[in-house]
Amino acid sequence: MNPRFRRRTGLGAALAAPLAFAACARPPVDPPEHVSEAEIAAAMRTPTELNFWTWVPGIEKQVALFEEAYPDVKVDVVNAAQGAGHYAKIRTALRAGRGAPDVAQVEYQLIPSFSITNHLLDLRPYGAGELEDQFVDWVWAQVTGPGGEVWAIPQDTGPMGMLYRADLFEAHGIEVPETWDAFADAARTLHAADPEAYLTNFPPSQGPYFAGALWQAGADPFGGSEGPDLHVDVTSADAKRVTDYWAGLVAEGVVSTDPDFSDQWYQAANRGKYATWLTAAWGPVFLQSTAASTSGKWRAAPLPQWEPGAQAAGNWGGSTSAVFNQTAHPIQAAVFAQFINTDPECTKAMATEQFLFPPTKALLEDPEFTGLELEFYGGQRVNEVFAQISETVSPDFQWSPFQDQVYADYGATVGTAVAEGADTDAALAAWQDRITEYARLQGFTVVGNEEGS
Amino acid sequence: MSAAIANPEAPDEPAAAAQPPREGEGRREVRGGRGRKRRSKRSTLLTVGMLAAAAYFLLPLFWLVVASTKSTGDLFSTFGLWFAGHNNLFTNLGNTFTQDGGAFTVWFGNSLLYAVASAVGGTFLAALGGYGFAKYRFRGNQAMFMGVLGAMAVPATALAIPIYLLFSQIGLTDTPWAIILPSMAIHPFGLYFMRVYTDSAVPDSLIESGRIDGAGDFRIFFQVTGRLLTPALATVFLFMLVSTWNNYFLPLIMLNDPDLYPVTVGLANWQGQASSSGGASGDYVPLVITGSLVSIFPLIIAFLFLQRYWTTGLVSGSVKQ
Repeated sequence: MNPRFRRRTGLGAALAAPLAFAACARPPVDPPEHVSEAEIAAAMRTPTELNFWTWVPGIEKQVALFEEAYPDVKVDVVNAAQGAGHYAKIRTALRAGRGAPDVAQVEYQLIPSFSITNHLLDLRPYGAGELEDQFVDWVWAQVTGPGGEVWAIPQDTGPMGMLYRADLFEAHGIEVPETWDAFADAARTLHAADPEAYLTNFPPSQGPYFAGALWQAGADPFGGSEGPDLHVDVTSADAKRVTDYWAGLVAEGVVSTDPDFSDQWYQAANRGKYATWLTAAWGPVFLQSTAASTSGKWRAAPLPQWEPGAQAAGNWGGSTSAVFNQTAHPIQAAVFAQFINTDPECTKAMATEQFLFPPTKALLEDPEFTGLELEFYGGQRVNEVFAQISETVSPDFQWSPFQDQVYADYGATVGTAVAEGADTDAALAAWQDRITEYARLQGFTVVGNEEGS
Repeated sequence: MSAAIANPEAPDEPAAAAQPPREGEGRREVRGGRGRKRRSKRSTLLTVGMLAAAAYFLLPLFWLVVASTKSTGDLFSTFGLWFAGHNNLFTNLGNTFTQDGGAFTVWFGNSLLYAVASAVGGTFLAALGGYGFAKYRFRGNQAMFMGVLGAMAVPATALAIPIYLLFSQIGLTDTPWAIILPSMAIHPFGLYFMRVYTDSAVPDSLIESGRIDGAGDFRIFFQVTGRLLTPALATVFLFMLVSTWNNYFLPLIMLNDPDLYPVTVGLANWQGQASSSGGASGDYVPLVITGSLVSIFPLIIAFLFLQRYWTTGLVSGSVKQ
């Protein structure tokens, strides 16, 4: 699966969920208040072997740079699985109390599921507290806990934008829509002119995409949750606005509802069935290789807005490096997690060779990164577009401690209702109920919306 | 699971939908039909039904063969169930075996080792156990056999995590034993099948005559009944071979060392790379498809080879009943 996003699978949800409150076999290491420079320097000169589980392709490059800087610390990279399989493997090893990695790739939406089981090491004492200024605000908000803990170091992100077919827009006289109203009008115009074409496709069971859409609309369904108190509010006015909008367009028949990343979807993208793809910053390079036959016809732009003149975006995907508190080498692990995600040479290679969209301010302002012209997009500086979008993502968006389950329930309720153009209010209520019931079974105290569910 | 790989089940949905009604029609016709016409009508409908079933099972395989001959670009832009203009099969095959320093060959060898070792060991254990259940009367025989039946209801995947916890305590995770040992015992079906088969295929009088001739229990088991059990042994062997060959979850959580991965985990790994951000990691899509095609061949060969052991009637004439 893509490192920058993940579609849920039944297995992942089924395995991840029951372990949510499971006790771990080895008592977690209590991190010290502060680790001095001298202690860190001494630890980094001690011959050590670290275990690092990740599915980022080509990560060996960053690991080599780290080993060059700290020749006494060897890093063993394990790439066994992506997404659900990766987390199932980690959770199993954590439960066994041995065999878990020292450092692992963890996506933003998975951080709460590991911090609530007390498996993550707070990286503040190891110097991570001082890194805040290097990262974009909303990204930093994603990796910090309610008590200011730093649970992970951001690696890449996926601020959302719109990729569109400039040739189709021109052929049908469509202006790049700046508001969702204009987008809806364009959808009608395009479909009326060409019944085979749709302005965009709404993927019915793509929970992470929908989370990004809620994020842009200003909804924060789990905002304010802390520890065992879980806030659940997926039926807010902001959420309703999103579902009403998409269900309306689907009911009119001007937006298609194919499952994304399927054979059908790839074929359609090559055929020109969709005139836009609402996607994240990892989308441009991804599309380049999977819709190669459409090279030169695409352009990038920010998402249409709910309020004219506003600038808001959500995020879809991205990963971090987290350290587990069962590690026998907390200092080395913490230094490693920080090094690969902040060292200028490491991060530049990630952004320009591995095409991970950077979370650091330095790179987002680096002309070498933003100035990159992509032929697939007619020579447009696509990174610059997404770097600007990244500044418009709200820092107020929190994940549930069982996001896999939330996505599964989304597909069964809201996703289906939107794809059928059906009653989305009932579907949102059903989603709220399912999340609430699941949370209660897991032992959370649910603080809901108006009726307090 | 993959973003980039088409779902091989998808294209045959029409066939799946069409098949059951046809079968139903056939049955109705047979019952309702009269006289001489009945026979011919029945066989036509049956043939059509069987052809539909064959198409249903072969279509994904056909897709796999077709897809293996395509380059990435063709995969995403040409019709899924027919060949593209040019044949890319040999390039794909070559790349599959050379990518990542020949990793696929290593995985393939591991899969063979795990599957054969656990099938041999598992079949032997199942034969011993099944024979014991069928031919010896001892206290708790029935109760233990009920336990075996009950264990068949537990999916092997559900046992993977408990097994990991056990193996973690004895320090055997991330070794071939972590796959071979559990795979030998994780499928009670083999034991159940051997018991039922032994019960019906090995006459008590044969064992008695062996005893009268002075053979010990082990000699009787290996030299007298062993031959009679060959068809069942072949069946259980094949069953265990297939299930170990296809096992994904157990090796996924047990193994960290890429040199120990079986084909399933290795291909899933490539599949993940394939859908990782747009080709930055290399062109893995055709490799996953071609690798999948290659990985079904050992099973096909095993089926063809073991078919000749499915001969019944070995026992006829050996004793008078």
